[in-house]
Amino acid sequence: MPIASSLLKKPRLVKKLKDFYEYVKFNDGKVGTKTRGIDLNFNNACNLRCKYCFTNSPKGDHVKEYLDYGAIADLADQADELGYFEFDLQGGELLLQPKKLFKVLEAIKPERFYLYVTTNGYYLDKSMAERLADANVSRVSVSIDSMDEKVHDEIRGRKESWKRAIAALEHVRNAGMDPYLNITVGHYNANTDHFKQLLDYSKEKKYKTLLNVAVPAGMWQKAEQIICDDKDREYLRKIRKEYKNLVRNIWNPFDRTNEGILGCTTVNRLYITPIGDVLVCPYVHIKIGNIFKQSLKEIVEYGFKIKHFRNHSDLCLAGEDKSFIDRFMTKSGQTIFQPAEAKNIFSEDDYV
Amino acid sequence: MNNLENYKKAFLSTFPIKEEQLEKLEYNQIDEWDSIGHMGLMSELEEKFKITLDTDDIVDFSSFQKGKKILKKYKINI
Repeated sequence: MPIASSLLKKPRLVKKLKDFYEYVKFNDGKVGTKTRGIDLNFNNACNLRCKYCFTNSPKGDHVKEYLDYGAIADLADQADELGYFEFDLQGGELLLQPKKLFKVLEAIKPERFYLYVTTNGYYLDKSMAERLADANVSRVSVSIDSMDEKVHDEIRGRKESWKRAIAALEHVRNAGMDPYLNITVGHYNANTDHFKQLLDYSKEKKYKTLLNVAVPAGMWQKAEQIICDDKDREYLRKIRKEYKNLVRNIWNPFDRTNEGILGCTTVNRLYITPIGDVLVCPYVHIKIGNIFKQSLKEIVEYGFKIKHFRNHSDLCLAGEDKSFIDRFMTKSGQTIFQPAEAKNIFSEDDYV
Repeated sequence: MNNLENYKKAFLSTFPIKEEQLEKLEYNQIDEWDSIGHMGLMSELEEKFKITLDTDDIVDFSSFQKGKKILKKYKINI
């Protein structure tokens, strides 16, 4: 039974989650302009060389830059004030530098958030899992690409990656945090036995399964063949009914029929880079501000003035909306460190 | 429908469980009573009993039995 993850240990989180729940309920099950989460990449260094990394970490992009602890503490305070209730720490691989990670956790004050760490699991042993649980981390997400060890290790570019990732999930559960098995799903693997084996494993283990649709960004920029088509989407709708442990950020988690769409969560879930740039989500590399130049409130207000992010979308803009991808995500060299500037790419018609 | 029946119904319509399981049911004991399920249950209770639960009470609502005591504060005797 999860203990560290328990919502009941975090009263401030309960208040924010209830506000979110009420908002969604009275907004016809849609996320609208309600603040939800912060995805923070405070350092981009990684021990693996994943073929589809969306941060270009394998290319060594900005791996020596760190967001400083003071800025992170201030960001977390502002996020809390604005009602953001989820905080996802990601990289890079944060467990490469545990001392820094624990300082960041201290700065954020995880008791206010449903705080989770997204990791490849390589360095997540029993002792590390217990330390994370003690630091009030609620959930750890570990990405797995295949139940075939060789396939996973080949994609990740390092032997033993699979074994360690699989073991990591058990350490997470045993330490009392929520174990999430993350799977990237695209046109290349949806509705395959390969993909189903992952779903079945996660279900059998009673983990949550987070599905991230493959996006043509980072190492996969312009790889449009990976994008889920209508048939793939139909398949995802079908398995949502079969596997009750499935989660997608675009789905309404409160909907008991397992059909409701919360909507694309650009701006609702912001992505902060190690240099303080604020992107509308981890996968849409469009910058709407910088935490050293504007307050988070100003950045959010500006982001929601842009129609594409304010208006409801049943599709994930980064991974499913081909028109959006073609118009705004194909700029040569567009990365998390060289994002397109919203003020440059959107015209008057794109604003509310 | 009396208060106890309403109270039980809130649980049974939120979680896929049998009535026999209710008496000893606790938060996180079943997969469905997680943070998301908890919000669903609180909302169901608020609707059924026309109340607004305080955050402290939502935090304290850790079991079927504990919930009965909490609802007493809202003058709902179960």
